[in-house]
Amino acid sequence: MQLPLGIEVPIPTFEQFVFIQVALLTAVAGLAVVISRNLFHSALALTLTFFGVAGVYVFLEAEFLAVSQVLVYVGAIAMLIAFAIMLTRSMMYGRTSPLNNQWGKSSLFAFLFFIGLLAFARATPWPAAGEEVVADEALIGALGREFVTTYVIAFEVLGLLLLLALVGAVMLARDR
Amino acid sequence: MDTALLFDNAVVLLPELVLAVGVMVLMMVDIGRRGQNGSQLLAGLSVAILLLGIGASVMIWGRAPVEYLDGAISDGFALSVRLVILIAGVLGVLLSRNWFPAIERQGGAFYSLHLLAVIGMMLMGTATNLIVLFIALEIFSLALYILSGFYRENARSIEAAMKYFLLGAFASTFFVYGCALLYGAGGSSKFTQIHETLATGGGNPSLVLPGIALLLVGFGFKVSLVPFHMWTPDVYQGAPTPVTAFMSVGTKAAAFAGFFRLMMTALPSFHDQWAMPLAILAVLTMTVGNLTALRQSSVKRMLAYSGIAHAGNILIALVAGTAAASSAAAFYLFAYAFMNIGAFTVTIALERQYGNENDVEQSRLAGAAERFPVLAAAMAIFMLSLSGIPPLAGFFGKFLVFKAAVEAGWAWLVVIGVLNSAVSAYYYLRIVVAMYFQQPEQAGDEKEQPFVPASRSSVFVVVVSVLAVVVIGLQPGLWADLLRGLGQ
Amino acid sequence: MVPLSWYLMLAAFLFSCGLYGALARRNAIAMLMGIELMLNAANINLVAFWRHGVGPMEDLTGQAFAVLIIGLAAAEAAVGLALIIAVYRERRTIDVDELDLLSG
Repeated sequence: MQLPLGIEVPIPTFEQFVFIQVALLTAVAGLAVVISRNLFHSALALTLTFFGVAGVYVFLEAEFLAVSQVLVYVGAIAMLIAFAIMLTRSMMYGRTSPLNNQWGKSSLFAFLFFIGLLAFARATPWPAAGEEVVADEALIGALGREFVTTYVIAFEVLGLLLLLALVGAVMLARDR
Repeated sequence: MDTALLFDNAVVLLPELVLAVGVMVLMMVDIGRRGQNGSQLLAGLSVAILLLGIGASVMIWGRAPVEYLDGAISDGFALSVRLVILIAGVLGVLLSRNWFPAIERQGGAFYSLHLLAVIGMMLMGTATNLIVLFIALEIFSLALYILSGFYRENARSIEAAMKYFLLGAFASTFFVYGCALLYGAGGSSKFTQIHETLATGGGNPSLVLPGIALLLVGFGFKVSLVPFHMWTPDVYQGAPTPVTAFMSVGTKAAAFAGFFRLMMTALPSFHDQWAMPLAILAVLTMTVGNLTALRQSSVKRMLAYSGIAHAGNILIALVAGTAAASSAAAFYLFAYAFMNIGAFTVTIALERQYGNENDVEQSRLAGAAERFPVLAAAMAIFMLSLSGIPPLAGFFGKFLVFKAAVEAGWAWLVVIGVLNSAVSAYYYLRIVVAMYFQQPEQAGDEKEQPFVPASRSSVFVVVVSVLAVVVIGLQPGLWADLLRGLGQ
Repeated sequence: MVPLSWYLMLAAFLFSCGLYGALARRNAIAMLMGIELMLNAANINLVAFWRHGVGPMEDLTGQAFAVLIIGLAAAEAAVGLALIIAVYRERRTIDVDELDLLSG
């Protein structure tokens, strides 16, 4: 398939075709998060983005991650954000613009950043996909074993981080 | 992997383990305590835990460096940085002890967050793995966000905490994106493995430079290098001063330690590419930090910009990129810990004298030497040391870093560093001059204020810091031998 | 099979969206949402690199890192929102432009 400017686009396979749809959904939802004027719509779009990213993980054959993504991001983080929006309700419908006076510079910066990341993503000759992934249960088991052997430091330290977040959030939320 | 390996070399993380257990004990004691007086007990307990941590580090001092599970290493650099952070932690707890009312009610939360921050900072210096490095960074960052908002009586404090959080979390995402790219480049999260893969022509070397650039943004925010320094004065001013004192030293030591190890063990083969951008950042950081510090009227903001300038000095050591430079940086941080915390302690004492809640204006320092001779003398020593006047500790820190940089062929950078030291001397000495040679403008009402005695623990901190600054300055060789660099 | 560069482009797009949101929005919660997008983008990168075999396939570093980042993001969001709500109780606004006690 030939696009203008001489960009050659191969005809997608069925898997690629489905991926394009998931990716487009994720990308559009992601964009909606940051451009929506209503904060609550942003939060809903964010939830949709989280689902889309979980779908991307399914394409990457990382099912455990996809499930964690839905559980933690959609189940916990999106909920927390929704509650926070409701608790600070007066901000829900901005009286003024939701953007600060640097939005022009910011959008330019973000765009340039995107072009930069895109350039090297396209320029590099990437390796083709690795060999077949082992059966799912074995993979999840292996991941679990890795957490208590190779990555035990990171795993334990993450426990400390969660403890910290618990102590800190309770301390901050308590009325003074 | 055999589970027996879990216990081999676990001694590498002994100080962290001691502190982690200590945090649990502290929280148990906090549950059990009754009434208001328990917070003194908690402070004592925290100091004891940190001293145990120092003991544990001393215990594993001088052993041959070993690595634990490809995630943590116990070389001289890790131990030196750990010592700096533990000392900053002890001094920070001592300063906080009587500082705010909130600590009476929420001492348990405060001290456990303080200790957790220390654990995260220590891990930064030890980590040899991107995953551990990132989680360590997040631990101390999250703890510090909350600690900066602890002064609930002052609306500035919580506001500073939120701004610090938003910027810090923003910077962390750059950091983690950089980690992802480095993983893509080297096919591993282990520093040595990344180096091996890339040095043998494997991996995707084109990802390295974008990865470094993104990591640099994350680190730049943490140590407040110049384009990423905007949060520093606001947070330093808004946060409770004892937390600022601890944070200014601890964050710098931790983030520089992590940055040093990452750049010098994972990416030494790219030194030619990253040294020059870092050198430019160092010049910018020193110059902008010093020039802006000249214009500050608040002592805390002045110290914040001076901290930025010092970050530029330490960055020179990283640009040099040798093992000698890393031990020079460890020495610099060790000296900086005492002189900077000392300066903040005097600021705290002066805050109490002037009844000003969380800051002191420089104009009020006029004639301070007459009213508070001891405080003024201590402040003068810290200011002279910070500006790098021999024979105090700060001079030898700068000297070692500059020497290592010249040896590595960065003479022009050192020239700029020396020029900047000269500029910095102006605003440090201005404080000394104000305290000793200027008369207070409206002497009347100030003289009538009664003298507020400083708390015993802050007197202790000042004494320790003055002694340390002088002793390190008189015996620099001894300490330079003790504080080692990477892989030593 | 979906090529690696497609994943990287999606991640780059999400990251840039988040970047714009974090820089341009006035509301602290909206900024936090931008930050969450950026973290997700990094995670897509990690898992994509793993699946496309930058290391040996049985080395699960990319996945392990991503799982830990998900856990960490939850902790970060909890602390961040607690801070934001604490500010709101104090100042009755979380508009970053209106929180200006600190500019000096």
